[in-house]
Amino acid sequence: MSLLEIKDLSAGFEGTDIIKDVSLTVNPGEVHAIMGPNGSGKSTLAKVLAGHPAYVVSRGSITYKGKDLLEMDTEERALEGVFMGFQYPVEIPGVNNAEFLRMAYNAKLVRKGEEEVDPLDFDEILDEKMNLVGMDKKYKNRFLNEGFSGGEKKKNEILQMAVLDPKLAILDETDSGLDIDALKVVAEGINKLTHENNALILITHYQRLLNYIEPQFVHVFSGGTIVKSGGKELAHELEARGYDWVTAPAQ
Amino acid sequence: MEKTEAPETAVLALHRKFLEGGQVKASLRPVNEVGIQRFETLKFPHKKHEMYTFVNTHELTTTVFELAGDGPVDTAWMQDRIYPACRNSVLVFVNGAFQENLSNLSALGDTFRISCLSEAVADDEIKTLLLGSLEEENDVFAALNGAFVHHGMLIDIAAKAALEAPVQLLYVSTGASSGAVTSHPRLVVRLGELAEIKMIVTYAGTRDNYFINAVNDFIVKDGAGVTYTQVQKDDAESWHCSKTRVHLHRDARFFGRNASSGNRLTRHHYEVRLKEEGAELLLSGASVLVNQEQVHNFIRIHHEAPHCTSNQVFKNVINDKGRSSFDGTVIVNKGAQLTYSDQLINNLMLSDEAHADSKPNLMIFADDVKCAHGATVGQIDEDQLFYLKTRGLSQELAETLLTTSFVDSLIQTIPFPDVVADLDTILMKKLEA
Repeated sequence: MSLLEIKDLSAGFEGTDIIKDVSLTVNPGEVHAIMGPNGSGKSTLAKVLAGHPAYVVSRGSITYKGKDLLEMDTEERALEGVFMGFQYPVEIPGVNNAEFLRMAYNAKLVRKGEEEVDPLDFDEILDEKMNLVGMDKKYKNRFLNEGFSGGEKKKNEILQMAVLDPKLAILDETDSGLDIDALKVVAEGINKLTHENNALILITHYQRLLNYIEPQFVHVFSGGTIVKSGGKELAHELEARGYDWVTAPAQ
Repeated sequence: MEKTEAPETAVLALHRKFLEGGQVKASLRPVNEVGIQRFETLKFPHKKHEMYTFVNTHELTTTVFELAGDGPVDTAWMQDRIYPACRNSVLVFVNGAFQENLSNLSALGDTFRISCLSEAVADDEIKTLLLGSLEEENDVFAALNGAFVHHGMLIDIAAKAALEAPVQLLYVSTGASSGAVTSHPRLVVRLGELAEIKMIVTYAGTRDNYFINAVNDFIVKDGAGVTYTQVQKDDAESWHCSKTRVHLHRDARFFGRNASSGNRLTRHHYEVRLKEEGAELLLSGASVLVNQEQVHNFIRIHHEAPHCTSNQVFKNVINDKGRSSFDGTVIVNKGAQLTYSDQLINNLMLSDEAHADSKPNLMIFADDVKCAHGATVGQIDEDQLFYLKTRGLSQELAETLLTTSFVDSLIQTIPFPDVVADLDTILMKKLEA
């Protein structure tokens, strides 16, 4: 059984479809890259998968682990292992980063019928995960994303992914706004977190990220739909030739 | 035809009784007289009064008060309100009068000196302050405080003294009278050059139906610094006015934070003068309001010299029919170049009937300054809510986290852990219901 099956999906908001007739199948152990120009609907797909309340699905279906994903609330999807890494992580002043991570971690434990961990035990878990993604410990007791640099915000997304150990991670432009050093650190972190039982959808505008995380599948988004799919060599071709040769027919 | 009696009449009658009652200190009598004259000139605010645009004082001004006499205070009740870190550095006031037997100054040493205002008024600087501020007073409640001042305290911190222990001033409103009672505490804190003090002022009541009307002055000499937190946790059925005047000299600092649980009416009035170069001011305020509770902040900051800094951050969470307002003006005088000033007011509304008014204002008469102001009124941020839910937090948990964090981000900046813990109980509990 595939992990995720998107069939003929059209969705958008305020009555206008932004993505149209999208179909995509993702199996455990796979890394898919979704590339495309700005405004092509890549981020909308991520938000629909995560369950953003502003987006409405007008047709099609999404099956996740054999269940209807669209029937599940946002938090339900998260507890079932869907993780979205935000393009623009939200700042929440007043919420302690470590406490927030522990709440999220515990929500998952409770779901599995296990006992919650106390702050002391969680601190050990957190230390290990922070080492894994190369994040400075000083960010533990900062307010969630508040005043973080762009790079630290993205690292914090990957830290959350490490803590939550999702089955399906959708990373929305995790690479944008990062300098090459930060990008390498973030990519290494992501690589350490992928294994044969989970799957990754990387949404990116640039081919650069794919030098560090190798996808098996590359899909080109344009005008709200997938106009071309291929192997990793497609990413190189896009880098060399730009998007016009694939997107022109769709527009 | 019978004419309705003006609310001022009851105050004048109370004042006559006060003057005749033998509580008056001869040395403070000129202050009382200037105070009542100023009161008569100013009168209680009417609806269109510029200073009270957002504050309805009708209920307060039409209530007839007696002066709160002595009242019993339960020792255990009081101990509960003294912060552990201040056990040996606490001054207790009952209805405005200092209670030596309930206080403990053992950690404070001889660089911390207290005296009665009735004695301190012999000092020219104090006399000028008491009378001068009243003659120019434009806030009727501060004038009223002057009219009734008879206890009052001066705290002198010697030059270069750096007090380690935070000092707590606990103002208790009490009284056996069945009717409405009022008290008018008066405090002057004077710091010598390079002195430092950490101070917590707590307002609480053992009863309901009282009006506490405090005036506090801080004279901060060159290079001195005050870290100040004001905790308003009066009975829900009370009224609270406090005016805080701050006079900052060269390189002086005042970091003032208030946290309010609200009541029938709480109004904080700040008047700050950054008089000489390098002075720095922080004012912040946090409140959580439910039912019909009210908290209002009225602020006037005068940048009178170059190179001064002022920051203001105010956050309110308002539920039910709660009401809050912020009316703040920063005045940058001609010549006060290189002023840096920032004002930020955020209100989080949790019900349709909650009400918040914000009026941030800048008056700039210098040409090389950096000033900013902003105000927001909003509901729970949908993007923040979505973010938390994508991490598996339930709608309910995410909402609670966002409302508590909204004010907690300010409360956590209070540099006294005891106070933070106290506020987590009294303010945050309101949000859990």
